[in-house]
Amino acid sequence: MSVEIVVFAILAILAVGGGFGIIVTKNPFRAAMWMVLSFIGSAGIFVMLDAVFIAMLQLIVYAGAITVMIVIAMYTMDKLTLSSLKRFNNQAYFGALFGLGILLDFIVIAAKLKINTAYMGKNLSIAGSNVKAIGDVLFKSYLLPFEITAIVLLIALFGAVALTKKDL
Amino acid sequence: MLAAYMFVSVLLFAIGATGAMIRRNFLIVLMSLELMINGAGMSLIVMSYYIGNVSGQVMFLFVAAVAASETAVGLAIVAMMYKNKKSVDINDFTTLRK
Repeated sequence: MSVEIVVFAILAILAVGGGFGIIVTKNPFRAAMWMVLSFIGSAGIFVMLDAVFIAMLQLIVYAGAITVMIVIAMYTMDKLTLSSLKRFNNQAYFGALFGLGILLDFIVIAAKLKINTAYMGKNLSIAGSNVKAIGDVLFKSYLLPFEITAIVLLIALFGAVALTKKDL
Repeated sequence: MLAAYMFVSVLLFAIGATGAMIRRNFLIVLMSLELMINGAGMSLIVMSYYIGNVSGQVMFLFVAAVAASETAVGLAIVAMMYKNKKSVDINDFTTLRK
């Protein structure tokens, strides 16, 4: 039990510290690296929660694909444009106050949370395989949302192409 | 432990929301949005474990797909704005205000 707490503490510090690094670093390249750190911490927490497939998906899609996409978008821009900005907005204190309010609000909700934990950690794998359980639910109960997700990705592709066209 | 996991997820969401509101660089605002989506997804995974139902993990797949498409469209907007204004400062993006 205590090992679990220690590992959780390390991963939580990675995730939250990486997130904090994103919003205080000036250079967006470094912010992207902090984002990778935060996503790796989150993936570790997902492994602790028996969501092995989702953890690997997190590493591939978030830490791999999305970060690389953002960094490559940065490569097309001027270095001075990117890193010579002022760090925060003029009304940053109001935004920070608002974020603190969101935090307190959700903490109250999370502390009041009462759920039935009789099935804790069960039903997450079929024959020892997490992927089998996900596929079973995904293609039996959530087939229509899955197809709609495909359409959403297609529309996003069209939108990205249409936005970057020359004459808009 | 449930409260600790939920606390991490809430903290990620709040940090992302704060970053989206206070930063000037549009790319960092996009990264903060990713962080928010990741925090929300983490709460799905935590609930999936503690309730003992794999549906939360399936929901995370949809959330990840929406996050990927959101980033693609957001980066297209950044590229277009950079082409027009040579800047990624959100305070320069005031076309709708005029």
